[in-house]
Amino acid sequence: MRAYAAFTKKEFTEFTRTYKLLILGLVFLLFGIMSPLAAKYMPEIISQFMPAGMEIEVSAPTALDSWMQFFKNISQLGLFVAVILFGGIMSSEYSRGTLIHMLTKGLPRRTVVLAKFTAASLLWTGAYLLCFGAAYGYTWFYWRSDANMSGLSVAIAATWLFGIFLLAITILGSVLCRNSYGCLLFTGIAVVLQFLLNMLPKIKEFNPLELITEGTPLLQGQIETGLFLKPTIIACVGTLLCVTLSCIIFNKKKL
Amino acid sequence: MNTLFEYLPILLPVILIQLILMVTALVHVLRHPNYRFGNKVVWIVIVVFIQIIGPIIYFAFGRGEDE
Repeated sequence: MRAYAAFTKKEFTEFTRTYKLLILGLVFLLFGIMSPLAAKYMPEIISQFMPAGMEIEVSAPTALDSWMQFFKNISQLGLFVAVILFGGIMSSEYSRGTLIHMLTKGLPRRTVVLAKFTAASLLWTGAYLLCFGAAYGYTWFYWRSDANMSGLSVAIAATWLFGIFLLAITILGSVLCRNSYGCLLFTGIAVVLQFLLNMLPKIKEFNPLELITEGTPLLQGQIETGLFLKPTIIACVGTLLCVTLSCIIFNKKKL
Repeated sequence: MNTLFEYLPILLPVILIQLILMVTALVHVLRHPNYRFGNKVVWIVIVVFIQIIGPIIYFAFGRGEDE
């Protein structure tokens, strides 16, 4: 347990020194601020760029638009940035050979994997909370009581869970491949696969991808909260499976 | 021009974050002349002219090891 805590702490030192902490924090803060702003000023921007005499009906923006922007940004760019930053989490250790000393001194291999996953999850959670806080603050500022919509907490939690699931896939990818590009490719393929599986209606209701795609329909009141149950279970099982597999494969890996 | 000044207080945090990212990356590019690929000029152009994504790409892929 002490080794685990120490290694997690070491990961955070590494995040600071490699600027990952700074970048993830700033980018997510930016997304949090941009989403309500984009929703609020989009009609004005559109009307500015319209040729004179041309009229289009744009309805007044609501808090819903703001949250739609938020989920769009986080599920596309936010997760993309997070995966890129965490893609090299293992490969940098392989290439520099820094793990060999600690492993030969008796640090269990599973501790390395678990500590890395914990550190990445904590950083993702922190950045996500920062993003949500900024978005909530601005949305509250513009729309007051509308900011707290029904189903918002479920949609927020669902997107967070998908992020954790994606990080587990990234960790598995980085254990499987020696360099960070292989890991990114693995994660990319996993996501594309989920998109393809989403076309089959029978699998669709179990697909973890639902966690990020159905957030907006939930806020619009088109679907029920219960629909998230199956994807949530699958995402949790998938996360556990990925982390366990990573531990097993890493145990047999030649460094 | 007036519209710009009208929206400046709202846009200030966004501009500030972009500037922080750009300056941090620029300082790093100038002070660490080892890159995984590319050279100094290429990275300066990427960091300064590609908003937000430029510094991320630099720190994720271009940053060389500290000797």
